[in-house]
Amino acid sequence: MTLKNNFDARTNQGMPEGRDLQRQIAGRHRNGRIWLVVFQFALAIAIVALTVLIINIINQTFGLVAIENEIEPEQLVSAYVEGEMETMPNTVSSEDDAALAASIAADPYAIGFFGYTYYHNQGDALRALAINGVEPGAASVQDGSYELTRPLFLYTGQRIMEAKPQVAPFIDFYLNHVNDEIADVGYFPMDPDALAEQSYALRIDEGATPPEALTGDIIVSGSSTVYPLTVRMAERYKEAGFQGKISVESVGTKAGYAALCVDKSADIADASRAMSRQEQAVCNKKLRNTSEFQVGTDALAVVVSSQNDFASDVTEDEIRQIFNGAGQWSDVRAGWPDQPIMRYIPSIDSGTLDFFVEKIYTEDIALSDLPKPALISTLEANLSKGVMRRYESEQPLAERSYQDLYDLVLEQVVEPRVIMSWNMLPSVFDRPAIEAEVLASNPDAHVQWYAWLNPKFLTATQSSTPEYAGVRTAILGTLWVILIVILFSVPVGIGAAIYLEEYAGQGRINRILQTNIDNLAGVPSIIYGILGLAIFVRALEHLTSGKLFGVADPTTANGRTILSAGLTLGLLVLPIIIINAQEALRAVPQSLRDAGYGLGATKWQVIRTHVLANALPGILTGAILGISRAIGETAPLVVIGASTFITVDPTSPFAKFTVLPMQIYQWTTRPQAEFKHIAAAASIVLLILMLLLNATAIYMRNRYSKTL
Amino acid sequence: MTMKMQIAGDVTDRASTSATGQAVIDTRNLNVYYGDFHAVCDVNLDIQPRKITAFIGPSGCGKSTVLRSFNRMNDLIPIARVEGEVLFDGHNIYAPRVDPVEVRRRIGMVFQKPNPFPKSIYDNIAWGAKINGYQGDMDELVEESLRSAALWGEVKDKLKQNAYGLSGGQQQRLCIARAIATKPEIILMDEPCSALDPIATLAIEDLMKELVSRYTIIIVTHNMQQAARVSDYTAFFMVDDNRTGYLAEYDNTKQIFTKPTNKATEDYITGRFG
Repeated sequence: MTLKNNFDARTNQGMPEGRDLQRQIAGRHRNGRIWLVVFQFALAIAIVALTVLIINIINQTFGLVAIENEIEPEQLVSAYVEGEMETMPNTVSSEDDAALAASIAADPYAIGFFGYTYYHNQGDALRALAINGVEPGAASVQDGSYELTRPLFLYTGQRIMEAKPQVAPFIDFYLNHVNDEIADVGYFPMDPDALAEQSYALRIDEGATPPEALTGDIIVSGSSTVYPLTVRMAERYKEAGFQGKISVESVGTKAGYAALCVDKSADIADASRAMSRQEQAVCNKKLRNTSEFQVGTDALAVVVSSQNDFASDVTEDEIRQIFNGAGQWSDVRAGWPDQPIMRYIPSIDSGTLDFFVEKIYTEDIALSDLPKPALISTLEANLSKGVMRRYESEQPLAERSYQDLYDLVLEQVVEPRVIMSWNMLPSVFDRPAIEAEVLASNPDAHVQWYAWLNPKFLTATQSSTPEYAGVRTAILGTLWVILIVILFSVPVGIGAAIYLEEYAGQGRINRILQTNIDNLAGVPSIIYGILGLAIFVRALEHLTSGKLFGVADPTTANGRTILSAGLTLGLLVLPIIIINAQEALRAVPQSLRDAGYGLGATKWQVIRTHVLANALPGILTGAILGISRAIGETAPLVVIGASTFITVDPTSPFAKFTVLPMQIYQWTTRPQAEFKHIAAAASIVLLILMLLLNATAIYMRNRYSKTL
Repeated sequence: MTMKMQIAGDVTDRASTSATGQAVIDTRNLNVYYGDFHAVCDVNLDIQPRKITAFIGPSGCGKSTVLRSFNRMNDLIPIARVEGEVLFDGHNIYAPRVDPVEVRRRIGMVFQKPNPFPKSIYDNIAWGAKINGYQGDMDELVEESLRSAALWGEVKDKLKQNAYGLSGGQQQRLCIARAIATKPEIILMDEPCSALDPIATLAIEDLMKELVSRYTIIIVTHNMQQAARVSDYTAFFMVDDNRTGYLAEYDNTKQIFTKPTNKATEDYITGRFG
């Protein structure tokens, strides 16, 4: 668009035109765009900062933990089952296998169990039952289709075999000679071809490395089941001429794995179960490659008399019933005789009993599957009489709910303890390393995912153990304090604002008043704390402790109560509410007031019906701001004296208390690492509480705006 | 000294004067100051009952100020000060013990920009009556007021709807209905049509002509044609060199617009200034 050229280039007067105009406009737009970028950048920084904050809190709230049980639940289950089995009617237990076998053979309604080899040597007097349709035999035991089997393994690693040339030949010897001894020890021999195949894989040239040519030491560690077999093999190897020392330890399969793969204190691990995938992963990393050798199988046979003409096949579930108190055979399966079941079982120290219970019961039954009396008897067996008496007097155990008893067993007997914890990001990206670390330091611990923010956290009270601590008292304390703050500061603040805006003149006194209120909004919160301490806690102690109303406990009551806290924080947020309410009142158009007055309304009628109604959204906004500020204040409450450790719920304004921010602060000062997780979880709770309060207030404000 | 309050009842029962003779509002040396500024000087005016009186004059001459002093609305402005007397039915409304609330019930006001309350149409009208202690059938009062304001037909099906949903002209008529619901004797109108379109303006003017049979109406207007059309009496205000307003001429409308005595009046009416 060409307009008259007003621009005189000589004197630089007038408005730019033409190309100068274009350039000038472009410059102004560019300026605006630069500012736009600056604002966007500012927003980005804000978003990034908030996101980092949220991520950091969430990172600490969820993650892996290593939990160690004082007593494993599986042990409790077996202990209970074994105890039950012993005390059942029609049950005989004995250390003497021969006596048991004889009794069973004599009675067509008897039943019992033995190591398979022992059974096999009894001839025709006894008959082994098929379990789930599978008869015990060489094949079914070897391939594991028979239920009651335990494979026996040796494990070693490539690095070990390379470093110690005596290890592989020993294993080779073991594989070639184990069947000579295994029946004697009482286990099931492996198929010789399978043994030979494993031996062949080792590629040992027996000729080149006979036992007498080898020396050095070999350390074997692990399963107590394999232990007797390995001891025999070690003796044989020595007899064959081995020059070095072979030491064999019985510490359990799990410890054996740890010794082999992590401590590197063993060269060979004995095992009565296969390595799990996780254990293999750890092992493979440490030993470059793990080699597994099966040297035999342990099996149990469930036997009845050969005079028994009705039972030849049982399901695992039926076995469970039979040995857990079923009365008559017909109770277990329809069609079986109406005769009582006679049970013959090994005594409670027997490894066979352990194996049986483990396979039939513990593998498939969790602690939570046990009936209520089982839990009660578990508690009786593991807790002292004094403790039991205390629980009985608090509430008789028989009357408690199942969940209560289960929780009690977990807490008092199993006693899981979090011994290590990790944040979410390392947990997600670095799990194998974490598992290896746990396996190395605490092989009994198991690693599981844990949410530090869980329903129990919300309902539990303070505790010195992080995993049992909760925020219930803190939440209740916060809600009580906020209630007092609202009840005090909202009416007082709105009233003061109405007076200042509608009634007060413009005189000097009122202006001073206004300035002071504005300044009070900026006073540091700790000063309000000192003020509250002097006035509410000390001077007004009779009121705030409840003594005035006669509800205070004479020995422990003092002014450090919810009422003091609420009043102090109420004073703190009062200026905010007053200022916001004043703004809202000021914003009501004068025309509305005029209309009211014109109809002959008094001043208060105009204010109440029109001004307040119109200003309410703005007033509520001020209240929301005030409450949000009050929820998060910690410093004044420290001075007022919020309790640092309190487990009793506050029940009145005169109660001692703690609030969420205090609790969080408390937990962050504790040295144990786990406390920072629950501090993060409590932070999330605080944020959610604040969001809920704000959302309620905003909803109320919107609803009120709509009805106008 | 309080005035007798009539709660309900027909307006014709009022102890108001007839068309001839006594004025319903009589100002004696009315002066209004805003702080130190002398806004209006020595106004002596008598308003005739059941007639429409128009205040005209250039901007800033104090017409609205004088109008607002008739129902003590200037009291709401902290720096405003009134001197002189304003007699309403013979009693000075600025006497020390007179309650402005009572004055305003009997002298109603309609403002320049329609300002209904953000409530329902029904509540807009009912509120004024309710706070003044009306006992009786509120539905009937609402209907009567809306009919008097020529609005009933348009809103009778949506009485519970928010008043803000009405058009500008309808809102102004609602404000008129609201004002007459308190059964005033006088209705003050401060440029009631300046925010409305010509059609709505005509509707208000027709309404005024109907209402005048029952109410005294004083209207401030910038629109001279409107003043000429509608009013019985016209007061012309002028402003002097100190920007203080004064009453230049007051007479029958016919007289003012055909044979004004004051030169300034003639100049203003013929459009030479203003």
